Amino acid sequence: MAASPLNPAAASPNRQKSNGKLKALTVQPKQSEVRSDDEGDSNDDAPVNLAEKLNNEEKRKYVKGKKLGEGTYAIVYKGHLRTDPTQLFAIKKIKLNAEYKDGLSMDAIREVKFLQELSHPNIIPLHSVFSTRDQNLNLVLEFLPLGDLEVLIRDPDVNYSIADIKAWVGMLTRAVWFCHANGVLHRDIKPNNLLIAADGEVKLADFGLARAFADPQQNMTYNVITRWYRPPELFFKARHYSGAVDMWSVGTVFAELILRMPFMAGNTDIHQLELICQAIGTPLEDNWPGVSELEGYLPFDKDKITPVRTRADYMSTFPTIGSVGVELLMSMLVLDPQKRATAKEVLEHRWWAEQPRPTEKERLPRKAGGEQRMGEDLKRRGGEVEEDGRRGDKVAKKLDFSSLR
Amino acid sequence: MAANYWESSQRKYWTFSKKGLADVRRAQESEPANKQLIATYPLPERRLLNIYFHLQLAKLAKRMSVRQQALATAQVYMRRYYTKVEIRTTNPYLVLATSLYLACKMEECPQHIRIVVGEARQLWPELISSDTSKLGECEFNLISTMNSQLIVHHPYRSFIDLQTTFSLVQEEVSLAWSAINDHFLTDLPLLHPPHVVAITAVLLAVVLKPTQGNLQSHAQSLQTAMSTIAVPPSNTAPTTAQARIQKLITWLAESSVSIEAVVDCVQELISLYDVWESFNEKQCKEQITRFVKALALDK
Ligand SMILES: Nc1ncnc2c1ncn2[C@@H]1O[C@H](COP(=O)(O)OP(=O)(O)OP(=O)(O)O)[C@@H](O)[C@H]1O
Repeated sequence: MAASPLNPAAASPNRQKSNGKLKALTVQPKQSEVRSDDEGDSNDDAPVNLAEKLNNEEKRKYVKGKKLGEGTYAIVYKGHLRTDPTQLFAIKKIKLNAEYKDGLSMDAIREVKFLQELSHPNIIPLHSVFSTRDQNLNLVLEFLPLGDLEVLIRDPDVNYSIADIKAWVGMLTRAVWFCHANGVLHRDIKPNNLLIAADGEVKLADFGLARAFADPQQNMTYNVITRWYRPPELFFKARHYSGAVDMWSVGTVFAELILRMPFMAGNTDIHQLELICQAIGTPLEDNWPGVSELEGYLPFDKDKITPVRTRADYMSTFPTIGSVGVELLMSMLVLDPQKRATAKEVLEHRWWAEQPRPTEKERLPRKAGGEQRMGEDLKRRGGEVEEDGRRGDKVAKKLDFSSLR
Repeated sequence: MAANYWESSQRKYWTFSKKGLADVRRAQESEPANKQLIATYPLPERRLLNIYFHLQLAKLAKRMSVRQQALATAQVYMRRYYTKVEIRTTNPYLVLATSLYLACKMEECPQHIRIVVGEARQLWPELISSDTSKLGECEFNLISTMNSQLIVHHPYRSFIDLQTTFSLVQEEVSLAWSAINDHFLTDLPLLHPPHVVAITAVLLAVVLKPTQGNLQSHAQSLQTAMSTIAVPPSNTAPTTAQARIQKLITWLAESSVSIEAVVDCVQELISLYDVWESFNEKQCKEQITRFVKALALDK
C-alpha cells in the first residue's frame, strides 16, 4: 500500500534521500491528496447515471499506491489490481488547472486521445481511464519499472553494445512506424520519453504533443520537439511537415546512443541551428530545394557555409557502428525532409540483418538501483520546448529541480 | 484522420447493435430517479431533439467559424453522451457548447474557453452561466462519460475516395454531402461504420440524381432506391443511371460492406425525413427550457 510522502518509514535509504528532496521541493500535499489511494474504497454518493456506475466499477478495480513521479500535467502513482496485487500499473493522475477555468490542457487531451487508439508492443499501453470524486482523470498505464533510455545513456555503470543499440533503435523505429501508419505524429521523441518495460521492451510514451497528420490546407505549429532532437525545418518555421520530423528525432536518439551524450546539444534555437550546420551541413537550395522559401529561413554567410558531411566524416564521429550503420544514421539526418528516410525505409535497411544481430529484449542491459530511483530520475535536463503556456511551465520546473541536485 | 478505424475505440466501444443501443438506453431510462424525471418533463422524440440541437450547434459553430469536421465530432459527442446520461439531468445548452469546445480541441482547431462561453451566452443568455469553470467541469464529465475515447471517424474521408471511384458530378456530391450531414441526426453514427454511411450517401446521390431538390422531399424516391439495391434491375437494356447503379451494386458485392447495413442506413434516413415533417423548433425550445429552469440546471 501507499507509503505517503509524509511517512517515508517503509522506504529504503535511497528512497528516503529522494523523499527528503521531494519534500523540500513540493508544496505539502493537501490531506485529500495524501489519502488519494483510498478513493476506490470510499462509498461515494449514490451514482445517478449509468456512466457514473461504470466509472465507479472501473475505479474500484485499482488500488493507488505510492507516488512514482510528477510531470508537467500529471502525477504518477504506482497502482495494482484490487483482486491481484501482483498486477502492477502506473496510474497517471491528470492535474486539472485552476478549477477547470481553462478546460483540460491540450497535452492531457492529446495523450488520452492517442493512447486510447494506438495499441502496439512499443507504445505504452493504456489499460483504462477513470475519474475520481475529486474530479481528476486517471490514466491506468502499464507499469514500466526500468526507467528510460536517457537513464541508461547517462549511467556510467551501464555498459552496452552495438547489438543493444540495434535492439533499442529497432523498437523505437517500430513505434514511430506504427504512429505514422496510423496518421499520428509524435513530435516529442527523445530518450526520456522512451520508457523500459520489465521485460526490456522499449515503449514510446508522452503523447502530449502528438497530433494527427494535418490536411494539406491546415497549418501546424513549428514549436514542437525538444530542441536537441528538433529537425531544421522546424527552426525555419515550416507549418506543413510530415513524419520526417519524428525521423530526425530518431536519428538524433540513435546518434546519442552511440556517443553516450547528446549529439547536438544547443543552448538556444540559434545555437542549435549552428550545431546542425556544423554537424550535418548548411541547409541551402542545392541540398534542399525550396528551403529558402520557408518563413524562418535566413541566408547564411558565404564564408560560414559547411558542406553536407560526407560518409567519411560520419565514420570518424561514429566509428563503432560500421559503414552500413553510418549509412542508416545518415539517411535519418538528411537536411531535406523530403529525402529523409521514412520509418518504413529504416526498418527495411540492411543494417538490421548484418552482424551483430539485435540483442533479445530480455538480455538488454538494465539500469542499476531498480525502481527506487524513479523519483530521482525526474527532471534531469533542459533543452525543452520553451514557449506556449503549459510546456513553458515544464522548463521552469526542470530548472528548479536540477539546480538543487 | 488519425488512427485506423478497425482498431479504433469507436469500433470497439461506440458502435452498437440496434438491440445493444436499445438496452443501454433502457437501462438508463429505468433508473428510478430518471423514471420520475421522464414522466414529469415530456420531450419530443430523440431525432427531433437532435435536429434542434444541430441547429443550435450550427449557430454556435458559425459564430466561431468552426470547421465542419469539428461540428460533426461535436454532434457525435452529444449522441454518445446522452446514451449514458439522462438528458433531464443536464443543461443541454451547456453540453452542446462543451461538445463543440472539446471537438475543436480534438480536431486541432482549439477555441479559447472564454470565447466559447461568450458566444454561447450571446445565443442563449438565459441558459448559460458566464462562469467558464462550468464549461470546464462539463468537459470533464463529457470526457469521463465517453471513457476518454475521443477520436471520431467520420464518413467524409471514405466519401472523398468513393467520389472519385464513382466519378460523381457536383450535384451528386452535394446531395451525398447532405445525406452525410443528416445522418448525424439519427442513431446511425452509433450503429454503423463511417464507410457504410459514405457508400449509402453515394448510392442515394446516384439514384436520386435525376430529381431536383433536397433530400427531405424524397422519401418516396429513397424507397425506390432501396428496392433497387434489394432487387437489381433485370436484363432490360440499362440506361446510364442504371449502369452506374449496377456498378455500385457490383462494387458493394465485392467489398466487405454488407448490403443489409446499407439498406438499414437508407431506411434510417427515410424515417428521419418523415419525422422531420413534424419538427417544431419552438416546442423543442420550450420543453427543454422548462426542465432546465425547473430543475435549476442552468445554475
Ligand atoms: N508507465 C510508467 N511506469 C512507471 N513510472 C512511470 C510511468 N510513467 C511515468 N512514470 C514516472 O512518473 C514520472 C512522471 O511522468 P510524466 O509522464 O507525468 O512526466 P514526464 O514525461 O517525466 O514529464 P512531462 O510530462 O513534463 O514531459 C516519470 O518521470 C516516471 O518517473
